[in-house]
Amino acid sequence: MTTRTLRAALAASLIASTAVAATARADTMTMWVRASGTNAASTLVNLWNSTHSDKIELTTIPDNQMVTKLATGVQAGEVPDLVSFDLIYMPDFMKAGFLADLTADLKADPNFASVAKAYVDIATYEGKLYGAGFTPDVSILVWNKDLFKKAGLDPDKPPRSVPEIHEDAKKIHALGADTYGFYFSGSCPGCNIFTTSPMMVASGSKILPANGNDDALTGDGVKDVLEQFKEMWSEGLVPKSAQADNGSNFVALFKTGKIGIQGCGGFLISDLKRDVPGMNFGVTFLPGMKDGEVSSFVGGDVVAIPVGSKHVPLAKAFIAWELTDEAQLDGLAKNDILPSRPALADNKYFAADPRIVTTAKALGVGYVPWVYHFADMVNSDSSPWINMLQRAIFDGDVDGAIKEAREKMKAIAAE
Amino acid sequence: MTSAALAPDAPAIAARRPRRLAPTAYLTAAVSIAVIAVMGAPIVLSTLASIKTAADASASPPHYLPAALSFESYAKVFGYQSGLATYVGNSALVAFTVIASCLAIAAPAGYGLARFAMRGKEIAFLVLLAPIMIPYQAILTPLYLDLAKIGLVNTHLGLAIVHTILQLPFSIYLMRSSFEAIPREIEEAAVIDGCSSWKRLTRVFLPLATPGLVTVALFAFINSWNEFLAALIFMNRETSFTVPILLVSVRQGHFGAVDWGALQASVIISIIPCLAVYLALQRYYISGLLSGAVK
Amino acid sequence: MAPALIFVGVFVLIPLGQLIAMSMTDRSLLGGGRFVGFGNYVRIWNDAGFWRALLFTVKYTIVLTPILMILGFGLALLTVDNTPLKRLTRTVAFLPVVIGLSSSSLLWFWLFDEQVGLINKLLTDLRVIAQPIVWFVSADLAFWAVVISITWKVVGFGMVLFIAGIQSINPEIMEAAVVDGARYWARVSRIILPLSRRIILLTTLISAIGSMLAFDQFYIMTSGGPRGQTFTAVYWIYQNSFVSFKLGYGAALSIVLTLIILAFSTLQIALTARSEAK
Repeated sequence: MTTRTLRAALAASLIASTAVAATARADTMTMWVRASGTNAASTLVNLWNSTHSDKIELTTIPDNQMVTKLATGVQAGEVPDLVSFDLIYMPDFMKAGFLADLTADLKADPNFASVAKAYVDIATYEGKLYGAGFTPDVSILVWNKDLFKKAGLDPDKPPRSVPEIHEDAKKIHALGADTYGFYFSGSCPGCNIFTTSPMMVASGSKILPANGNDDALTGDGVKDVLEQFKEMWSEGLVPKSAQADNGSNFVALFKTGKIGIQGCGGFLISDLKRDVPGMNFGVTFLPGMKDGEVSSFVGGDVVAIPVGSKHVPLAKAFIAWELTDEAQLDGLAKNDILPSRPALADNKYFAADPRIVTTAKALGVGYVPWVYHFADMVNSDSSPWINMLQRAIFDGDVDGAIKEAREKMKAIAAE
Repeated sequence: MTSAALAPDAPAIAARRPRRLAPTAYLTAAVSIAVIAVMGAPIVLSTLASIKTAADASASPPHYLPAALSFESYAKVFGYQSGLATYVGNSALVAFTVIASCLAIAAPAGYGLARFAMRGKEIAFLVLLAPIMIPYQAILTPLYLDLAKIGLVNTHLGLAIVHTILQLPFSIYLMRSSFEAIPREIEEAAVIDGCSSWKRLTRVFLPLATPGLVTVALFAFINSWNEFLAALIFMNRETSFTVPILLVSVRQGHFGAVDWGALQASVIISIIPCLAVYLALQRYYISGLLSGAVK
Repeated sequence: MAPALIFVGVFVLIPLGQLIAMSMTDRSLLGGGRFVGFGNYVRIWNDAGFWRALLFTVKYTIVLTPILMILGFGLALLTVDNTPLKRLTRTVAFLPVVIGLSSSSLLWFWLFDEQVGLINKLLTDLRVIAQPIVWFVSADLAFWAVVISITWKVVGFGMVLFIAGIQSINPEIMEAAVVDGARYWARVSRIILPLSRRIILLTTLISAIGSMLAFDQFYIMTSGGPRGQTFTAVYWIYQNSFVSFKLGYGAALSIVLTLIILAFSTLQIALTARSEAK
């Protein structure tokens, strides 16, 4: 009881002060982060290192090796003090007992109370908390305003439903054989769960089953969205290369200005501003089948403390610190990265670019699935998810594809 | 001398007619140039792409030549995380350790297999060849847990051991072939001269097996230098990572997006040390040849 | 001999034993698992995906190995002299070998890519094709794209080994043949080929084993597609072990694959030993 109060007081005082008081001997903590999250994580880590005498040493792990590395590391006792990874792996890691229990510290932290619900949900297992949102990203719809204008569409009016995307795409493709209305990476399961599934969820569907008794691919949303995609494909509104794109060209084509509309992530905003500063593009929520239905996939990285970490109190201090206004604003927002506390979305850094504000707001309308074996069901190269997409869109068999995928997903969830 | 005898009859004919080369010489020259063009084209294209701006390297449709010269892709690779020098240092340390251990273990093993008749020699040989038949992604997990227990993870030595395991079968087989190709007469001459077994090995066989030793060293270096998975699993800190890990991380964008410019720069950067080692060892191929088999 | 055997024994046979033990459990990548005896092996028998992948891998090996050996030997014959041109040819042909496999696969993926790749541009400019081809949506085209990229990368390896083999042929034999008036191709077929037999079989064996274990190139270039038609055996193992977390099952798959390769290699070595005894 007393220890808990002490810890709560410690957490509170850390938040109140703008810099952590130096401990007697400066420690170095190790932190693993996945490669695509390194830039974002560096903003926070560098800020911490510049204001604290205890340092954090960042180690970059290639994305698709993170799970293996952490799993073998925990089992061999070779773990970092902190780890930042794709949040969809939280259920598997929590169930396997890889992560330290942070319930007490987080519940006592007032900043944690204002973190986006999706991040709290994904980090909860059997009532306990094991991680916090770290470097969020969320999926949104981008459109090329210049192409809209050329096609006779109002450049400031993005499509508000999937059928409207289809209509706009037709007009844009009419501009020329080399200009396409829409894009998606046809062989990239991760890209599509990020950008296509929210369209289905917005239309009322649920995608993934949490266990063997749970339902998968419910509602008409899945079928309707797939039908729209299938039509867009057969009408040639999407480049032929999209079918074989496993993600390597996820944003490359939009950057060349040949694509009218595309689902993407918040990260694209800073990418476009840096690589194609002359492009006029807009950002909006991913729509469902009807006007007014919106959703997004709440993604990005969470931060957690692996079991076996040698600097647990200090690691907890870091997590507490990264939820503070200072870290969220001067670390993340300043660098065009979303804060995990939506209340901070309207800040001075974002004020300059309303597109980022929209993206931050998308955190509030989004979903994140809480399932085991996410990789098996979705991200794998042989997953039911990607097979369904390819069979429905490219082979044309929408109903068969959904049925097959539903059975396979439930089988995986039952394991 | 061997090469002259192997070449088409051009030299013989050339000796009689010094001013005109035979048609076959033109043909082989043409073929050689075609080979250079085909084999070299991807690397040339990669080099050109590496000096484009990042946006130009991902342009669609692509262009052969850079629109404007830019070294930003190289800068990105050089400056990534701990900096290229750190990774190169780690890779080099591991690679040279692997060369040393491969030569130290494979040469005597190959010699034994080549020269000493034993029962079960072929079985021993099969055992030594076994490591390459196992998919090494599968064997890495148990190996990692074992080495962790004896404290060899996150060390250059531990990684070098793993790389040596992967290289040993090939190295032993190569050394065995190399020693077997040496004519018995030389060995008999050495025995008659009163050389001990060890002296035979060092004074007579090793020099004659130089092309084999050089090949072993070369492939040990290249395979260790480029090895990715074990390097990632066995090393825990950014400062211990090797070059292949840097190359994968630096080009990785979100959701599998690839930074094509960074890829090309990393291809060129990874070629250079291996090419340097190859060129350095080339001399020993030729001088090993010229020292002659029969003296 | 002893150090080699000890080294292999400790660092290979022990983990191999652990792998076999693991194959009898349903251990997950994330830890835990119970003993299931031969349950995994029974599952393998019914695993259509694995057999499909294995068949594909065998097809890949059978197609690729002769290509590599013939081209490699041809390049060796071409570049074994010491003229500057030949040395340059040898270096350029060997250069792809020194690039890492994942970098090389990605390089070719970039070349073959329909949007950013130069091969389509080249073929269109040379009027070989009218429209750009999307290489990776057809299982056959994807297969050949991978074969081309691997041939480029690996042929220099065979070349170097064959050169080493040719150079170790006793020059007296060659000179005697020239004096006897033997023409070039006769010298090749009567002397070089037979005397290089050992190294040819070594290289073929290593090349074939490498192809049976192919993974990275398919992972990067085809992602197993289209529709899972280009999964190789090791790719299938990777999927099961590291994506589905079924480490125990993956271990069983690995053992089965290793035994298949072992059987094949033993056969080849036995045939070699027998033909040499003749």
